[in-house]
Amino acid sequence: MEETPPHCLSRLPDNSALKQQELPAHQLYFTATRVLSAFFTMGIFCLCMGIILIVSARSTQEIEINYTRTCANCAKLRETASNFDKECTCSIPFYLSEKMMGNVYMYYKLHGFHQNLYRYIQSRSNRQLMGKDVKAVEDCSPFKTSNSNTPIVPCGAIANSMFNDTIILSYNINSSAQIKVPMLKSGLTWWTDKYIKFQNPSFKNLADEFRGTTKPPNWPNPIYELDEKDPRNNGFLNEDFIVWMPGAAFPTFKKLYGRLNQTHHFKEGLPAGNYSFNITYNFPVTRFQGEKSVVLSTLTWCGGNSLFLGLAYTVTGAVTWLASFAMMAIHTMLKSKKRSFFHQ
Amino acid sequence: MALCAKKRPPEEERRARANDREYNEKFQYASNCIKTSKYNILTFLPVNLFEQFQEVANTYFLFLLILQLIPQISSLSWFTTIVPLVLVLTITAVKDATDDYFRHKSDNQVNNRQSQVLINGILQQEQWMNVCVGDIIKLENNQFVAADLLLLSSSEPHGLCYIETAELDGETNMKVRQAIPITSELGDISKLAKFDGEVICEPPNNKLDKFSGTLYWKEDKFPLSNQNMLLRGCVLRNTEWCFGLVIFAGPDTKLMQNSGRTKFKRTSIDRLMNTLVLWIFGFLVCMGVILAIGNAIWEHEVGTRFQVYLPWDEAVDSAFFSGFLSFWSYIIILNTVVPISLYVSVEVIRLGHSYFINWDKKMFCMKKRTPAEARTTTLNEELGQVEYIFSDKTGTLTQNIMVFNKCSIYGRSYGDVFDVLGHKAELGEKPEPVDFSFNPLADKKFLFWDPSLLEAVKIGDPHTHEFFRLLSLCHTVMSEEKNEGELYYKAQSPDEGALVTAARNFGFVFRSRTPKTITVHEMGTAITYQLLAILDFNNIRKRMSVIVRNPEGKIRLYCKGADTILLDRLHHSTQELLNTTMDHLNEYAGEGLRTLVLAYRDLDEEYYEEWAERRLQASLAQDSREDRLASIYEEVENNMMLLGATAIEDKLQQGVPETIALLTLANIKIWVLTGDKQETAVNIGYSCKMLTDDMTEVFIVTGHTVLEVREELRKAREKMMDSSRSVGNGFTYQEKLSSSKLTSDLEAVAGEYALVINGHSLAHALEADMELEFLETACACKAVICCRVTPLQKAQVVELVKKYKKAVTLAIGDGANDVSMIKTAHIGVGISGQEGIQAVLASDYSFSQFKFLQRLLLVHGRWSYLRMCKFLCYFFYKNFAFTMVHFWFGFFCGFSAQTVYDQYFITLYNIVYTSLPVLAMGVFDQDVPEQRSMEYPKLYEPGQLNLLFNKREFFICIAQGIYTSVLMFFIPYGVFAEATRDDGTQLADYQSFAVTVATSLVIVVSVQIGLDTGYWTAINHFFIWGSLAVYFAILFAMHSNGLFDMFPNQFRFVGNAQNTLAQPTVWLTIVLTTVVCIMPVVAFRFLRLNLKPDLSDTVRYTQLVRKKQKAQHRCMRRVGRTGSRRSGYAFSHQEGFGELIMSGKNMRLSSLALSSFTTRSSSSWIESLRRKKSDSASSPSGGADKPLKG
Repeated sequence: MEETPPHCLSRLPDNSALKQQELPAHQLYFTATRVLSAFFTMGIFCLCMGIILIVSARSTQEIEINYTRTCANCAKLRETASNFDKECTCSIPFYLSEKMMGNVYMYYKLHGFHQNLYRYIQSRSNRQLMGKDVKAVEDCSPFKTSNSNTPIVPCGAIANSMFNDTIILSYNINSSAQIKVPMLKSGLTWWTDKYIKFQNPSFKNLADEFRGTTKPPNWPNPIYELDEKDPRNNGFLNEDFIVWMPGAAFPTFKKLYGRLNQTHHFKEGLPAGNYSFNITYNFPVTRFQGEKSVVLSTLTWCGGNSLFLGLAYTVTGAVTWLASFAMMAIHTMLKSKKRSFFHQ
Repeated sequence: MALCAKKRPPEEERRARANDREYNEKFQYASNCIKTSKYNILTFLPVNLFEQFQEVANTYFLFLLILQLIPQISSLSWFTTIVPLVLVLTITAVKDATDDYFRHKSDNQVNNRQSQVLINGILQQEQWMNVCVGDIIKLENNQFVAADLLLLSSSEPHGLCYIETAELDGETNMKVRQAIPITSELGDISKLAKFDGEVICEPPNNKLDKFSGTLYWKEDKFPLSNQNMLLRGCVLRNTEWCFGLVIFAGPDTKLMQNSGRTKFKRTSIDRLMNTLVLWIFGFLVCMGVILAIGNAIWEHEVGTRFQVYLPWDEAVDSAFFSGFLSFWSYIIILNTVVPISLYVSVEVIRLGHSYFINWDKKMFCMKKRTPAEARTTTLNEELGQVEYIFSDKTGTLTQNIMVFNKCSIYGRSYGDVFDVLGHKAELGEKPEPVDFSFNPLADKKFLFWDPSLLEAVKIGDPHTHEFFRLLSLCHTVMSEEKNEGELYYKAQSPDEGALVTAARNFGFVFRSRTPKTITVHEMGTAITYQLLAILDFNNIRKRMSVIVRNPEGKIRLYCKGADTILLDRLHHSTQELLNTTMDHLNEYAGEGLRTLVLAYRDLDEEYYEEWAERRLQASLAQDSREDRLASIYEEVENNMMLLGATAIEDKLQQGVPETIALLTLANIKIWVLTGDKQETAVNIGYSCKMLTDDMTEVFIVTGHTVLEVREELRKAREKMMDSSRSVGNGFTYQEKLSSSKLTSDLEAVAGEYALVINGHSLAHALEADMELEFLETACACKAVICCRVTPLQKAQVVELVKKYKKAVTLAIGDGANDVSMIKTAHIGVGISGQEGIQAVLASDYSFSQFKFLQRLLLVHGRWSYLRMCKFLCYFFYKNFAFTMVHFWFGFFCGFSAQTVYDQYFITLYNIVYTSLPVLAMGVFDQDVPEQRSMEYPKLYEPGQLNLLFNKREFFICIAQGIYTSVLMFFIPYGVFAEATRDDGTQLADYQSFAVTVATSLVIVVSVQIGLDTGYWTAINHFFIWGSLAVYFAILFAMHSNGLFDMFPNQFRFVGNAQNTLAQPTVWLTIVLTTVVCIMPVVAFRFLRLNLKPDLSDTVRYTQLVRKKQKAQHRCMRRVGRTGSRRSGYAFSHQEGFGELIMSGKNMRLSSLALSSFTTRSSSSWIESLRRKKSDSASSPSGGADKPLKG
């Protein structure tokens, strides 16, 4: 009972650097040289980056034509859902004062369309879209099945609301002759989308594969009739469909519609001149007070002609420089004061 | 073990019959098995979970989890909450389980201790847990008492037995217990086996000093009292063996009944954190409301029209209801502002800090082989905020070892240590101790350094001989000689022991005593003195004398006592000697030694006879016997011849003065609360430099009535005010001239005061109407010493400071009498390695040396506080930066509770991507090396002033977080609104945006932690770079084709990382965001360093302090020599042993010689002893829990 606990040295803590809190370490000091040089470098970097970005962005060209109001009659027609089978086209002429060099991309742009609503984003079935099980519609509410309980393909709110205007760009070679600008409907999507995320059940006879399903309520045609000419662009692999499916982050967004096929007249891009968009107006936007436009644009290494990033960098760089000068001034002032204090 | 605790109806009385287990079993008394553990294997899970969900935070997260299971409002998958929740619960459960395992282990260890139980007439070894009520057990010397026993008989005469109750009440002096006479004869086993008495007594209770019961035996009744009881936790001392009857066992024992559940302590940071969390909840609700209103408006204005594309949910019938649902959805999404991982991380960091304390080699005591131990892991950062330390004296500041250090004999001082060259040696370079080998009876442990004293003895200097003769005769020590030459002294106080032992080593060996004689071996020859009278010590007399007749027949009175008392009673012829001795006394007192003056007086036969006759008369007197005796004693103790003085060192623990000085510099106020006497306490105050002669005044409050105390306190305050008014100006002026401008005027004006208050005055001072006055006065003083305080008063004082000062208090002590104060204070520290472990068990931290306190506070505490504050700042910042992005996004996504990030990112952000770097900072960060925090104690101040994390700092963090979130959202927004990839394909989709924001967030917070980390160890590097690497690894894994193939609906972000992060635009966005978020922080810190440099300020200031400190060190030595303090008579023992000796009650004599003592007189002796004890009500043993009245 009286045995004292064995007094062995095992109770002596280890003499390791970790346990004695003596790990080798370096400390961060905000010394004037370091901070100021970091600031100056950062300032230079930001300014340079800003200038480069602005210059690059300025080198691109972009034309945006809002056709919500221009095609007012069509818009009005589309406001009533029952008119869905009445075709409505509208042509918008425009003049390209400067030729657009290189690859020209055509986008459609929607204003005020919320592709980023929680329930909207959720409303899709990746299982179905990757062709594994076309009847997998669990996540697709409120567009899971039709009234007769047949699963919708492609199901979900995103697919149902797919943008379905047809836009054809025509070039007026002269006052009378109009030729259609050749647009490529390929390479509009990410590789991963086209080859992993979206897959048809099989390439042969899509209609069979989709038997027992029904088209989304807003669609005029079933999924396997999206592009009957090109089986590689049909079904879930349809480029327009794939472009539509990822939800845009903000209510105003543009999505790639086609890219210029650089042949014949258009080898170097779009020459200056008169053009017109021939639009089959299907997609109603006025119902939700939205707008839509069509955009033609060329690109550089940093994307489109948005100046935001360039300006942001320039401003940051400028502010950083100003700040570093201010800091330097304060520092030198205080240093001399301090010196006089210590040497008194 | 599981059988230990059984619920029984409350007992009304207890019956226990000796040696009759069957009879006792009827009552189903608790067995002697104790159980402090909480769970067993089966109950662990349910009980632990139940306890954990009593935590508000856990319940909150459970509530969130339930919310998430409602599909209409769930905007996040359930796993975003359940993963962290399960993690938290598991970690806590594992910790609880380990704690409980150790409790099981210690229970087992205690329960399996062996004791000897009398079963069926034979002594058998039994485990403690198998001891039952009604058993008779045998205890041997130095054994712990296994249960509450009724003492039956013992090896000592008259059934006396000595116990030490340190574990129960912290008093280290021995106490006497006595068996009732009828059982004290039951000395051998055969008699005991036949004993079948029955005890009927009170039910189990927690009153340590009360017991009432009756023993029924042989048709007779015998009353029992606490004087007959041995309580569990006591240790048997100086008694070879004793037998006891078990009355209370296990949980019913008074010790266990007293060990209440320890209060759960929270730190001030904890409380602040809880307030802030509440505020954040409020903020969260506000955001939820704003967004919900937004949602209702949006649904009303836009959503209704958008129904073609997205019809409302079936459950939603109006925009208002949609808004209501969206409120809950946003609560779920935004709940990450108070992440569950906050609580876990805080616990982990504290655990880490606790381990650092446990591992600290510099807090390991080599002598006792005990490391420091953080027994509570939840209080560490509060160690960095302590403002008041309440310290016990005995065993904490002092070692409770008395050492005969110096003496002055007939005008010559002995005991200074000289080195070879004849200079006074400094500490640590002591020469060889004096060799006592000439004396076979010498105590080997006794060390003395001045050989000249021994020479004086050897040449036979008569004064020196007389000096030691006095020491060997005038005392109440009992001797015991087991074998020839093996002497053991049973001293009632360590002071006496030290003196008698000193005499023994110098050749005046006290060998044995009878009631009428004392045998002393004087330089080898046995001389027996006839003991005529013992004039015992008491508080008023402050001296004791013996009157002996030497073999030659001469009667001499030997007296030792406090200098103040004794010097007045000396013969006038000794004036010159008196002056020299006074000088010596001053010198000793200045060194903090406890001094006694020794004197003798020769009495002639007739005078003695006449005096003895009067004494006898007086002692027989019925009324005012005490007073009469006192005056008769006073008469004889007069005209004495001065012999010299002794100086006993109440050995301080190592490094106590230095520690106190350092802690004082760190602006920590130290109060000493001791049960010891005023003189002793003040003495220690001087020797550990709490009190100095430089102090303007030391106020001593000793009033016995409310009015007196109030008056004394008022006077003290007036004096302080006066001096600051009148002396103040000149003083400040001087101060300004001499030192520097940095000493604040207030401090300089206030001067240095100290307050000493007595227990009975304290009782009044702590009354409701005076406590504030007392506190004000006390807090204005530099040092406060409370003496003669009861354990309860200790707790009350701590409570008082806690209540009004709103300061963090720390109590440090070693004994059970400190338990209440240790439990009351914010932080309790127990000194381990002493015999009692009660204090350690109740404490939050324990180590074996007082001096480790400076390291605990100034190094560990400071770092803990710093780390915790930095951690909290960063944690709130990173979560606000993380979460507020959702809020901004709400304005762009129709307030539909769409998150910005992928749900996996939300799940993992707090537990994987950003947890380890901040943990590493929280565990390892250091701002200045540990040596600096000792050198510059002022570095401790930010903690006391709560500067590093308070509401202001919190708002700064929040603001920074919100600022970051704004940039984190709007910069990518600006870019992404128009962005396309360089091949024209999409970039502005939700998923790319999510990846970009998440990536820049992870990078920004990583850079920020890089800036915050002041001390980059390899571990920090590993965690920070590792976290970034893990982020990208997980990102790419989650966005990989393989996972998508398996779970297409769960991992929707396939291919996103590679597509997005391949774009220069995205990286430029991330870089810009990082630069814009971080640069202002760097600029701000740089400017603060330049404009308001707290650190350099501190350094400058502390350099000054260091200079001062050095000067002070020099001062200290000088002060030590010139001290004018005089110590009082420093015995800590109680009166009454003289009577005991003269009555012969505790003498081991043949029963024949004592036959004249009847049982009646013996009980009357006990009575008188007890009465005296209760008379001196100010003694802490008077009762632990009754407040003292004047």
